[in-house]
Amino acid sequence: MSTAYDTPRATGIGALVAEADAGRPPAGILDEDAKREIRRSALAAVCVPGYQVPFGSREMPVARGWGSGGLQVTLGVIGADDTVKVIDQGDDAGVNATNLRRMIAQTTGCDESADTREATVVQTRHRIPEEALGAGHVLVYQVPVPEPLRGVQKSVAECARMHAEGDYSAMWVSLYEDIVRNGMITASTGYPVLVGGRYVMATSPIPRWDVPRLDEAAHLNLFGAGREKRIYAVPPHTEVRPLTFDDVPFEVEHEPGGRCKFCGSGDVYLVNSGTEGAFACSDTEWCARVQAGDADTAAHRERAPLALLPDPRARAGRRDTPTAGTAAADDTPAARTAAADDTPAPARGTRADGPEWALRVDGIGKVHGAGGASAVPGTGPEHSTAISPSTGAVVAAWDVSFDVAPGEALGLIGESGSGKSTVLRCVIGDEPATAGQVHLASVDGGASEVLALPAAVRRRLRIDSMAVVYQDPAAGLDLRVSAGGNIAERLTAAGWRGYHAIRRRAAELLDRVEVPLSRMDDPVHTFSGGMRQRVQIAKALATEPPVLLLDEPTTGLDASVAAGVLDLLRSLLSERDVAAVVVSHDFSVIEALTDRTLVMQTGRVVERGLTDQLFHDPHHPYTQRLVAAARR
Amino acid sequence: MGYSGARGGLEAILAAEDLVRRKRDHAPATWASTEQITARFRLAVDRVMGEAGLYDEPTAADAFRQAEGDTLEASHLLRAQRSTLPRLAVSEPVDPDEMTVLRRIVPAFREPDGPQLLGRTSDYTGRLLERPDGPPEPSPRATDTANGTVRTEDQRSPRRFLDLLRKMDLVADGRTADDPEPHDITRKPARPPADRSAVLAAMARSESGALVALWYRSILGPDGDVHEITLGDLRHGRLPLRVRHPHTGNPVTVGEFRVTEAEAIEDLDGAEEDRTRFDIGYGLCFGHNERKAIAMANLDIANRRFGRSGPLEQLLLLTLDGLDSGGFLEHLKLPHYVTFRSMAERKQAMRAAAEAGEEPPARAAEPAGKECR
Repeated sequence: MSTAYDTPRATGIGALVAEADAGRPPAGILDEDAKREIRRSALAAVCVPGYQVPFGSREMPVARGWGSGGLQVTLGVIGADDTVKVIDQGDDAGVNATNLRRMIAQTTGCDESADTREATVVQTRHRIPEEALGAGHVLVYQVPVPEPLRGVQKSVAECARMHAEGDYSAMWVSLYEDIVRNGMITASTGYPVLVGGRYVMATSPIPRWDVPRLDEAAHLNLFGAGREKRIYAVPPHTEVRPLTFDDVPFEVEHEPGGRCKFCGSGDVYLVNSGTEGAFACSDTEWCARVQAGDADTAAHRERAPLALLPDPRARAGRRDTPTAGTAAADDTPAARTAAADDTPAPARGTRADGPEWALRVDGIGKVHGAGGASAVPGTGPEHSTAISPSTGAVVAAWDVSFDVAPGEALGLIGESGSGKSTVLRCVIGDEPATAGQVHLASVDGGASEVLALPAAVRRRLRIDSMAVVYQDPAAGLDLRVSAGGNIAERLTAAGWRGYHAIRRRAAELLDRVEVPLSRMDDPVHTFSGGMRQRVQIAKALATEPPVLLLDEPTTGLDASVAAGVLDLLRSLLSERDVAAVVVSHDFSVIEALTDRTLVMQTGRVVERGLTDQLFHDPHHPYTQRLVAAARR
Repeated sequence: MGYSGARGGLEAILAAEDLVRRKRDHAPATWASTEQITARFRLAVDRVMGEAGLYDEPTAADAFRQAEGDTLEASHLLRAQRSTLPRLAVSEPVDPDEMTVLRRIVPAFREPDGPQLLGRTSDYTGRLLERPDGPPEPSPRATDTANGTVRTEDQRSPRRFLDLLRKMDLVADGRTADDPEPHDITRKPARPPADRSAVLAAMARSESGALVALWYRSILGPDGDVHEITLGDLRHGRLPLRVRHPHTGNPVTVGEFRVTEAEAIEDLDGAEEDRTRFDIGYGLCFGHNERKAIAMANLDIANRRFGRSGPLEQLLLLTLDGLDSGGFLEHLKLPHYVTFRSMAERKQAMRAAAEAGEEPPARAAEPAGKECR
């Protein structure tokens, strides 16, 4: 493989080469201010390994996508006393590599070499050289797509948020679903890695074969994405882990028995060569040096990722799908402990001397429209309106306070429009409250005011401190993802990294909510409404959150299906130490599930008490109407 | 010594370059001088300057010739040329009201302040192909300006229609007292959420066809945020360029440049909007490029109203640059056999697993996440 393209046999080629070799006076293709800017960005990238640093990417004489980012980084870091090597697909002689090397050498006055041992700066597209790289090497990668989350999230603003918060559960779900669908991880090239335990990073795309070379590497890795205007880095001696579950081995490419048809090497990255099924080294330098006896093949064998060759027996495989029987067997205290051993326990801030309540809500209020608190006078049940006479704003809820203890369920009942769901949405964070405070015993022992916490922290709370079940399952589930994958989303967000532990936990939960395990790997959009709701409940309970909020959990369902879900919720609440808030317009739901109840009308609490008492002896006329409706 | 790579690649490149050069520069036809191109391919030169974000007619004309008429390639040449040069100064803010109009129309009003000036346009010329045998006879009128009429100051720099709308109190006032530095998208990549100035700059430098296509997608596509737009001012004219003198510190006019400017009137009807008034979208780009300026003005107002509730802001900031989209598309021509081998290996591994008895799933879900590389 000397060239990727045939050389036209035009006359005078020799003269053209001679003319090119004679060299023209170096003309800069990037001004010095730009190079300074690039070095600054590269330094920032080294300081925050794996983080994509924006930079004022300049237009290069090569098209964006043809190494304009790598070229800028190389020009930024290289000097006249450097030696540059450029490879494309591992080949020094490919047209793109040749073109870039010519440009770099001509405009900087540095030396060129195809020998990695002589080079100080290696610019590459798609490969890491087979030769060892050391502290004297800078490896510059040309990067077409720097965003590893692009596959699971198309909004760049949302990708930025996910990186900032280390919220990578969508990536883990995509790996989980991949194994479920295909029995193995099929992500092929540009495999995502976790750098320094913090940022998920796209690997350029190099083949999986090269990915282990990034981990604790002795050389500096700089990645330049010109079109997307990002530079990122893996500094020397940085931990780089391919994203995979603890019990699912990362696999490099392998062709059983494959050897290079030129040098005979079998422990290198091989590419197809010719139409007869033969293979050849993609690294042409290494291949030539092996043939010439100028290569330390023993040391190379040590570097080669032979321990990561695919081993079908070690794969997770679909055979491991838990059956109802094994899930039931797993549902023993011993099995749970075993599962807990390889999974992080949900963080619990509850202290022995902490508050008696798990959730406390003080004076929650929500005003839609102008005026804020000043819009409140003149609204409420005694005025029979939620509309502010002074500002015209809608006072959806005002001065709603309650607390819920572990193992207790509190009901919020009222007609639709009475403000009960608004209260719930303010507590969970789906909409900002106008007034009031929320405290969770699991957060600083109840000391912190939850509504004042940053949005990122509040999102974290939803993983394992306060879960919600919405009326519409589509609000709490990704319908395109399997039932197990939806539960995996919550578990991986909470730090679970064992594929089998996740499968076991998901099966256990789905079994508990009476979703047949034969449907565990089906996308949720193929489920009936009642089944979807059961999956949503299983997901909410996945991390055993101390607080569970249920917003009209049975309202969208047929009467008989609703009754089944209600039965399920009743037994789930009774067997758990969870503090639950149940919002419903239906007194029969409230009666079935809750111990205490608040009755809401026109945004205010009009009556509160033990559910039984309210149901049997309602005082407020409005409560009497609700009870009568439930008995009808 | 060490390994030296084969040189086949270089030979191929040089031969390809030679082929281009010979066929282009030594074609059996009269040489197209830079003056020929600026005089006869004015709109192409303007488009290249706009998409490059660099205003200099002879340079753009040379790029247009070198690129064999490929406007995107020509703007690439200009931008790469710009990358070699230091930034010596930043101009003073330009006041579009100083424009000396060459053309100005106000579709929204019968008799606006100042003239409805058609200027140099083929808008009303029948699109009939002319097949001349050769150059036209020399015309004594060729050097006359504007048919010999002398225009007054008001005609040269008419008041903008927006002033009249404001006098009629028909425009929601979005002006703010602060005067923030505009976002320089050539130094600081703009991503959502971004300032309006970043979005305007991205549109001004965008590939004209891409901008018009995005605008039209809004009209006839499956989604869209462009509504009942009426065009206010549409202008093409000359503006002075001033920089501060390095010694005296005073603004000095160092040149002139032509721009197209558009103001689009949008009906406000949203819940939180002032439904008794209109709002104005703004477009300005280098040279004479009315399609671009009008699309830009339409999309500016759409972006301010709906940019973040949907995909529009990301589309405007990240998908309109011709060098970005064209470069990424063209990179597919580069060898990909290393990555393709990696992909093929996974296909073969899946098949091997299936043949070894591991059953594929009975009902496979759609993949959660698809990569682009």
